Amino acid sequence: MKYDVVVVGGGPAGSVTARFAAEGGAKVLVIERRKEIGVPVLCGEGISKKIDSWGMLDGRNWISREMDGARIYSPNKTMVKLSAEKAGNETGYVIHRDLFDQELARKAMKAGAEYMMNTKAVGLIKEDGRIKGVKAMHFNEKLEIEADIVVGADGVESNVGKWAGIDTTLKPKDIESCLQYTLANVDCEDPFTDFFLGKKIAPGGYIWVFPKGKDVANVGIGVLGSLSRPGLAKKLLDDFIKSDPRLRKGQPLRVLAGAVPVSLPIKTVEDNLILVGDAARQVDPLTGGGLTHCLEVGKIAGEVIAEAVNEQNFSEEFLMRYERMWKERIGKKLERNYKVKELMLDLDDKTLDKFADSLKDYNFDEFSTKGLIKALVKKHPSLFVKLIPFVKG
Amino acid sequence: MVRHKAKVNREVCLSCGGCIAICNQDAIRMVEGKAHINDSACIGCGICINFCPVGAIGKVDAV
Repeated sequence: MKYDVVVVGGGPAGSVTARFAAEGGAKVLVIERRKEIGVPVLCGEGISKKIDSWGMLDGRNWISREMDGARIYSPNKTMVKLSAEKAGNETGYVIHRDLFDQELARKAMKAGAEYMMNTKAVGLIKEDGRIKGVKAMHFNEKLEIEADIVVGADGVESNVGKWAGIDTTLKPKDIESCLQYTLANVDCEDPFTDFFLGKKIAPGGYIWVFPKGKDVANVGIGVLGSLSRPGLAKKLLDDFIKSDPRLRKGQPLRVLAGAVPVSLPIKTVEDNLILVGDAARQVDPLTGGGLTHCLEVGKIAGEVIAEAVNEQNFSEEFLMRYERMWKERIGKKLERNYKVKELMLDLDDKTLDKFADSLKDYNFDEFSTKGLIKALVKKHPSLFVKLIPFVKG
Repeated sequence: MVRHKAKVNREVCLSCGGCIAICNQDAIRMVEGKAHINDSACIGCGICINFCPVGAIGKVDAV
């Protein structure tokens, strides 16, 4: 079996990379260890509407509900509202991640990428230290898949990166311990994504309530690994649901555990190898959001791979184009939000309440974490001195 | 002194993979869809135990 590119992982980053590599003429195989693309849904299922203008998904079946904005609640439940009408730009969707992932895979397939399910990568093929492909198990059959480029799109575990010699291990302070329910029988009339902050609510993270419909919501928690104790994410989320009048009667349609990297960027390129998505730690360290990045970065990766195949140059030096381009696109944001994440850790609940109080009637100039950070810097310049260079312009 | 090792309760594990990403000894793998800790590589540091969102990892005495 010989391909130009083998992509390990059929999530959003893997499928978008596969699509653009295939569109550029590369012969692409995607291997996925699970039995169904997009299942299980390891996600809060929120995404910015800015993806509309990128035209990467057809149809609307993957949209569960359009949002009017977001509400952030401090520990004493002071609310800061970012709404479309106030901020004057696009907000977001709550999506069906399974259908979303399947739509991205369908697009990749249409471009010519092949997919193999129930196929688990178990190692890299190496010759004289050079990566030559992937060893995999397809059902109970051992496969050697030769390829000039291996793409590690294998999520938070990032085994492909590890096998290639990149240090992908996350420190406890750089990973969120997550639990998520899809709850039915809840009362979520307002189309707002809600975020709840506080050391007792979700240390080093937050609880989210993303309404998928008026009586169904994706409700989850992230707790920073360094502040986590065995089973803490589940305990805190269960306590919160019991205490919230909208959610108290909710019943779970599904439960999922998750782990989200919230680290600084790592090296994403070696000779014959590229990392994308969670495997490349291309996640916003403040929000834990990574879906839009997968689309942005996957396109860059796919296009660079197609160029590499055309020129038959698979060296790290050539593939570094990808790393330079993705860092140009999202690197500054990731760095800024990592700093904000660290600053937030030092804040006690009272300070968070004070911040929320100072922003509760604020007119944000954009609907984004940047808009929020800009407002904080403006209101409390001495506390956020370190962030001033990041919010100019 | 009794040395400890971490052990996954397969009935509780929801296969999120966080313990694999966090283990600095590369001692954890998915085996038949659940996290599995390689005894001989585990140093009993307990990082994965504290991380697990559902409390599926416990301590056992090393033999």
